[in-house]
Amino acid sequence: MSTPILATKLYIPPPRAKAVRRPRLIERLNEGLLAGRAPGVTLISAPAGFGKTTLIGEWIAICGLPVAWLSLDEGDSDPTRFLTHLVAAMQTLARNGVEGAKHAADFGKGVSRALDASRPQPPPIESTLTELLNEITALPDHFILVLDDYHVIEATPVDRALAFLLEHQPAQMHLVITTREDPALPLSRLRSRGRLTELRAADLRFSPSEAAEFLNRVMGLTLSAEDIAALENRTEGWIAGLQLAALALQGTLSLQGRQDVHGFIRSFAGDHRYIVDYLVEEVLQRQPAAVRNFLLQTAILDRLNGPLCDAVTGQEGGNARLEALQRGNFFVVPLDDKRHWYRYHQLFAEVLHMHLMAEQPDLAPALHRRASAWHEHFGLAVDAIRHALAAKDFARAADLIELAVPAMRQSRQETTIVGWFKALPDDLLRFRPVLSVYYAGVLMLGGQLEDVESWLRDAERWLDTTADKSGQSETLSADRVVMDKEEFRRLPGTIAMYRAAIALTLGDVPATVKYARRVLDLVSENDHLLRGSAAGFLGLAYWTSGDLDAAHRSYAECMARLLRIGHVSDAIGCSIALADIRIAQGRLREAMSAYERGMQLAVEQGAPALTARGAADMHVGMSELYRERNDLKTAMHHLLRSKDLGEHMGLPQNPYRWRIAMARIREAEGDLDGALDLLHEAERLYVSDYFPNVHPVPALKTRVWVAQGRLGEALGWARQQGLSVEDDLCYLREYEHITLARILLARYKSDRADSGMHEAMGLLERLLKAAQEGGRTGSVIEILALQALAHQMQGDIPAALVPLERALALAEPEGYVRMFVDEGPPMAILLQEAAKHGITPSYVRQLLPALGKAEDKPPVHQDLIEPLSERELEVLRLLRTVLSGPDLARELTVSLNTLRTHTKNIYAKLGVNDRRAAIRRAEELNLF
Amino acid sequence: MIRIKGHLDDRWADWFEGMTLTREDNGETLLTGPGIDQAALHGLLKKVRDLGMPLISVNCVEPD
Repeated sequence: MSTPILATKLYIPPPRAKAVRRPRLIERLNEGLLAGRAPGVTLISAPAGFGKTTLIGEWIAICGLPVAWLSLDEGDSDPTRFLTHLVAAMQTLARNGVEGAKHAADFGKGVSRALDASRPQPPPIESTLTELLNEITALPDHFILVLDDYHVIEATPVDRALAFLLEHQPAQMHLVITTREDPALPLSRLRSRGRLTELRAADLRFSPSEAAEFLNRVMGLTLSAEDIAALENRTEGWIAGLQLAALALQGTLSLQGRQDVHGFIRSFAGDHRYIVDYLVEEVLQRQPAAVRNFLLQTAILDRLNGPLCDAVTGQEGGNARLEALQRGNFFVVPLDDKRHWYRYHQLFAEVLHMHLMAEQPDLAPALHRRASAWHEHFGLAVDAIRHALAAKDFARAADLIELAVPAMRQSRQETTIVGWFKALPDDLLRFRPVLSVYYAGVLMLGGQLEDVESWLRDAERWLDTTADKSGQSETLSADRVVMDKEEFRRLPGTIAMYRAAIALTLGDVPATVKYARRVLDLVSENDHLLRGSAAGFLGLAYWTSGDLDAAHRSYAECMARLLRIGHVSDAIGCSIALADIRIAQGRLREAMSAYERGMQLAVEQGAPALTARGAADMHVGMSELYRERNDLKTAMHHLLRSKDLGEHMGLPQNPYRWRIAMARIREAEGDLDGALDLLHEAERLYVSDYFPNVHPVPALKTRVWVAQGRLGEALGWARQQGLSVEDDLCYLREYEHITLARILLARYKSDRADSGMHEAMGLLERLLKAAQEGGRTGSVIEILALQALAHQMQGDIPAALVPLERALALAEPEGYVRMFVDEGPPMAILLQEAAKHGITPSYVRQLLPALGKAEDKPPVHQDLIEPLSERELEVLRLLRTVLSGPDLARELTVSLNTLRTHTKNIYAKLGVNDRRAAIRRAEELNLF
Repeated sequence: MIRIKGHLDDRWADWFEGMTLTREDNGETLLTGPGIDQAALHGLLKKVRDLGMPLISVNCVEPD
């Protein structure tokens, strides 16, 4: 379910029939639009009552560009609500005349779906904005986006989102911000780049001639120049002040007649009182009691309509009264063109509200309660709750909140929910188990695990009252308040689910399993969210303890249930786990199917040209499998596709997994330095996302060191990890132990000390047994290959062929290639021996060319003393492009330092000193 | 201590939660209150902003 859109927030205020024309300001606004320094921003920054919104409304009516309008309110500090309404505002462009209406219907749908698909995680703000920016860039026409009343935003995420929008602002969008305080945006940078047009209080205040036009023509007074000057002087051109003065003067005219006008102005001008105090007092005094009461009593409302006003005041005719007030310029702003919804100018509402509190303080709670009831009746839960809280009727608020939370959570308005819980007294929550558990969920999101447990315990007290015969529970259950019976029935399961989550966060596997199983015992078969979550927790726990079959079963169930309730991105995340598990089991084909299924989900979920979050991860996974098959071209292709989608289309692990996949391709290409650069980045970006860390990045780095002969560093890593051949073995450390065996074998190669070989063989034998028992065929194949290489090092080829034959037999059906090829020339020799002995002959025939490739590939004919390596040739070809150094480094995914090493070597080999000479020389040598 | 241009009516005292209003001869109003923390101060300033009251200064004063 998506966030409900309030149409009144998107309504563009029409120009008033009678208003002061302000050509000098309109001119400046137009200049900001046309100055050709797009993309531009116009900031209207001035205190309340300076006519900011009115001015922009006048301007956009005549400026000729389509406009998207968003009136902000406090609720928009919730980033989800802000983004949802921003998209909705942009969608109105289609209706407001942007050509190329192919986008009319579809515009922003992708963004909305992206918001939905991220459920239940908080929306990825930048990726959603990127999506939106891409759609804007595709629009054919220029347009204006107005964010009205930006000062109400008090949330860094929203500020950041807007800063991001400014940083990447498409040329066809002009942004207008009205606010009472300068927003937390990089304004000075915008100013220095000439992108900012500013109108401030000094620009907006009425000049004497504008004041004259306003008072006499618009407000229908006939004041002398002297009186106007006095008013202008006293209000300093503040428009709200002038308008209040005019209302008071109208009252004076009708009650006392013309002669008193001059007197009124004189006493006002000579008074020290705060203008609004003075004038509102004067205005209210001159209104009939009915109008005066109406104004005071409805001032508590953010938005007003006739029936709501009637409900709050207990009178009739609210609609007519609102229309009359608007006609009389009583600071009433229409919010739609059907004369349905209005609001008071905030300044006026505040002062009225203050008068209400001062004059009839006891009435306010009753008014709020009536407003709350009206909103509840019409299903407007958020407003109903706000008024209940304002009435300090916490019991009522708690009742409403309990019923509203599920829908609010579904539309991910967590910030709003947190605000409610902050407003409710703790004592009240303690009698409401459902609310207590909701609160625990809120705290869980904030990572306050200890508080979560205490609220869960609190809620539990109410659950099983029949089992407790002490009698005390009877009294307890009498005090218990439950609004949502269905949710109450689910509570035991929900509580167990939170406990499983806490245990998992704390790394307590047995407790995770215990609570997850309890969830499955407690909840009904069709409660997909709870059963799915529990299955996911079990999957993680089994996986961590190495029970791969059970882990796979649990994950498959978790995925199926998540899909049934539409949590697509989380379901796609399950694909990664399912594939990882299959790879560990040596079932590469099934791993590929898991990624393909995930990809299918991602594509089906998205609108045309949009895929769901997680698609980028599927490409990375497929890339790894293609690399294993030694199809490096396709592997690279998938990595580039993943990159094209953007990291925001990836789940949390994607940034580090992408770099590992790329590093391993580099490694396969023989670029070990490049691989290390990438692994270094991967280490920095590593995020577990609760997955067991079965292939730690430092171990991957160590394997590259071994390949480079950097044994000292490799041994240093083993020492640092406290690894020893005598360790007890477990799945979590298997990869590190196999790496240790590789280090020991490499050391034997250089020092030929039998003790080291003995240790390595012993470790490998134990690892083999453990891997076989755990059904980890992927590891079994690798260990067998290492055993074969160890025998070969000792010169015993027949002994080597025994494990090799087993490895090949297991690997052939799944199409492993790099597993053997990565072992290099010694493996080539062994495979040739295997071929001679008729061991898996067709498979070996397939492997051998891949092995020979790096060795025998005829180098490009180079008339150089020292030929360029493959990688250097690649760099050289890129040097011929216009890419800058940093761009080149990015293209090659290496660090700038590595790139410099490459270019230095290239220049040295070519006997040149700079890029241009290198290209010339390379052309002479036909190296391109 | 918050100094505002113009004399505020007494009824604002409640609105500014327990602050004392002092009207000075020069047409300014002082809002003073003890033990106000940063969050409350920002809340006050926001009210001043939303009411369009011309803000002159904000000072910290030691109790006598």
